[in-house]
Parts: sequence; structure tokens; C-alpha cells
Amino acid sequence: MTELLGLALLGAWVTLDGVTVGQFMVSRPLVASGLAGLWLGDPATGFLVGAVLELFLLVAVPSGAGRFPEPGPAAVVGAAGAVWAAGPAGLALGVAAALLLGYAGALSQAAQRHLNVRWVPDPAVQPVTEAAIVRGHWSSLGVDAIRGFVLTALGLAAVRMAAPWASGAWPLDAAATRGLLLVGAFVSLGVLGRSLAARHLWVYLAVGAVVGLGLGAVWG
Amino acid sequence: MSSAPKGSGAAPETPLPPGVLRAVQLRGMFVQASWNYRTMQGNGMAWAMLPVLRRASEERRAAALDRHAEHFNGHPYFDSVALGALSRLEVDEADPETIRRFRAAIRGPLGALGDRVVWATAVPSFALLAAVLYWMGVPGAVVAFVFLVAYNALHLAIRAQGFALGWEAGTAVGPRLRGLDLTGRAERFAALTLALVGVVSGVLLAGGRGVGALEWPWFVAALGAFFVGYVGGVRLWRPTAIVTVGAVAILLALGSASLLSG
Repeated sequence: MTELLGLALLGAWVTLDGVTVGQFMVSRPLVASGLAGLWLGDPATGFLVGAVLELFLLVAVPSGAGRFPEPGPAAVVGAAGAVWAAGPAGLALGVAAALLLGYAGALSQAAQRHLNVRWVPDPAVQPVTEAAIVRGHWSSLGVDAIRGFVLTALGLAAVRMAAPWASGAWPLDAAATRGLLLVGAFVSLGVLGRSLAARHLWVYLAVGAVVGLGLGAVWG
Repeated sequence: MSSAPKGSGAAPETPLPPGVLRAVQLRGMFVQASWNYRTMQGNGMAWAMLPVLRRASEERRAAALDRHAEHFNGHPYFDSVALGALSRLEVDEADPETIRRFRAAIRGPLGALGDRVVWATAVPSFALLAAVLYWMGVPGAVVAFVFLVAYNALHLAIRAQGFALGWEAGTAVGPRLRGLDLTGRAERFAALTLALVGVVSGVLLAGGRGVGALEWPWFVAALGAFFVGYVGGVRLWRPTAIVTVGAVAILLALGSASLLSG
């Protein structure tokens, strides 16, 4: 119970960090997932899931009114799923659950932004008071924290139930599982490359790839 | 409040205790707390400005609360520039209509600048650098620590210097920002970001930590996936996530069926 409560509180924290408070990027998958892994006593799995999710979510940034997958709570749940199911099944379950929860996070965030309209004062309707500003501010912040907590808790409950089943049923070995997930991650890398290469900088991509192949061959 | 020229860009002779401006600056961290589809960051901006607005005369304060709660949508880090400049204008008791027009004029450029410099360049660059370090075998905790320290050094510098610039320049902040050529710098930084995309891809294809050498079918599939993403652009991101989740679900279902039949 303490384990779950701690993870749900971590989910609330990284939800707030994602948009509402500071945006220190504790909510990036590598950090949030690693923290969840540390809390569960398996940091290596947490960081591995976070590193894979980081590749998937490179293009997911909290830009204005845009609706992008919410990485923080998703990464916490992904790490928990990976630790609980263990092995290749855990990695597959963790990444898939995190991608799903990222969308659930985006939808719930949009719903909350509609809800915030109710308690944030509108100067076009009536004169604004300091009390109304403060009330709108703290109500929205509190609801966001609760949203992160509940979203993470629901995700944790789902992966907790799915973990034993996934660990028995997953048919791929470790190499094939990593290959499958990296194929998806490479689409995201390509998307990011496209967004940058529009500036005719593709030669940097090629040089980077050669350097990366060399580094991977030597130190990988 | 002050005898300084109103929003002229000359250094204000502020009667404010230093704590008031510091409070506005710190409150800037919460500028998106009440983000909503009507006024967007408007309420957050008004909340952040409260320490300055509380020092205004009662008559001026009522109107100031109204104008600062109006619609605003910049970038959370670069909003510090607006907070500094607007604080300066309020302290200087500038003409309310000037403040309102300045506030409306600055939000779009600040949003575009932040999107370009932070979301499109800095975040992916630092995340890619962290990914390179991780997949080359640096311990995850070290990578996360380095990422947070390096990224937030830039982040906090933008907030602190942005606020100082806004406070110092007032309505003249636009030309001062243009003089910094942040967009040009981001453009040049994009080359490094793109190189990092290549480095991460290369490290993974060559078999970085936790990956192992990719078997040929996966190697070819990964290269193909990169090409598909490169050609298709951002509209392919969502279908990719759906296909990945679908593939995992189908494999789990097949595995379950195999267990049941076996």
C-alpha cells in the first residue's frame, strides 16, 4: 500500500511539473520513470523504460493549447508495470501502458482546462477581485494534483492486474522485444529529424549517425 | 509610485522592497497553474503580479486586476519577460491603455519565441543528449541528474534574465529581445539537435546498452521506421503509438491463446 501511495504521489508531482508548476522537466520519462524505479527498488528497469519512452515522446512537449501525450504519470506507471511483470514482458507492458496512459493524461488535461473556466474569473463578465484570482489559482492547481494522483493510481491498478498475465503470456524474447519497441521509437526519431531537417541541416544528421554507429560499436 | 519616466526603458527609481519583485519572479513559476480555455494564462499572470498590484492605490488596483486577468498566452519561461515589463509599467503608473496594449502585443511574440527556443530546440536537445549518455552505458541516475542540472541551468537563466530584462526595459523590451537574436541562436542550435538525432539512432542501431546488437530484421525495420517518420512527419506520431500498443496487445493475446491451447 505504501508502495502504491508513494507512486501515486510521485505521479501527482510529475503531473504538476509537466505544465502547472515550474516545468523543471522532472516529468520527462527518463527522470519520472527512473524515480519510480528507484522507489520500487529496481532503478535499472525504471531507467530502461524511461529511456525507451523518452525516444517515443521526444516530440511531446507541453506547448500552449496543444494536446500531446502527458509523459509524467505515464512514465511512472510504465516503470511500475515493467518492474512488476519483469523481463521482456515487463518492458513491453510498461511501454504500452505508458503510451496509453499518456493519451488518457492528455484527454483528462483538456477536460480539466475546460473545468478551470468555471472558477477562473473573467474580466469580460464582471470586475475581478483578488480573492477570485487566488481562488481560481489554487482550485485549478489542486484539481491538477488530484488529477495526476487519480490518473496514476488507475494506471497502477491496471498494470498491477495485468502484470502476472503479461509475464506468463508474452511470447517474444528480450532481443525481439527490444527490437519491436525500438522500431516504434525510430518513427519518433524520424519525426523529430524531419522537423529539424526542414532547415536543410540533413548533413548533420548523417555525420551524427556515423558518430553514433562508431560510439555504439565501441562502447555499446 | 516612482519618478522614473513611464515605461521608457530608463532605470526606474523604484521604491519597491527587493522582496516584492522577487515574489513576482517566483510566482512566475506558477503562471500556468490555472490554464484554461478562456483566458489561458491570464489568471496565472494576474496571480503572479499580485505582490506589485497590492501596492497600487485602491482605485488603480481594481482596474489593474481586471487588465492582468485578461487573456494571455505566452511561453511559461519567457512570460518572465512580460512579468518584469508589466511590473515596471504598473510601478511607474503608466497609462492603463498603454499597459493593456503592450500586454496584448507582447504575448504572441513571447509565445512564438519560447516555442522555438525551448520546446522545439532546448528540450529535445537535452533529452537527446541524455539518451546518448544512457544508451552508451552511463548509469541512469547520473544521466537523469546531469539532464536536470544542465537543462534547468538554461531554464532558470531564461526566467531570471528575462525578468531582469523586462523590468529594466519596460515597453522597450521588444527591440532588446530582438537584439539578442535568440531565434537565430536556436536555428544554429538545431544543427546540434539534428546531429544528436543521428548519434542516438547510430548508437541504438550499433547496439547500445540494453539493446544488444539488433538482429538484421529489426535493424532494417528500425531504419525503415526512421525513414517513414522522416517522410511522414508529426502526423505519424499518434498512429505509431497506436500500432505499438496494438502490437503488444496482439502478441499478448496470441501468447495467452497459445498457453490455453498448450
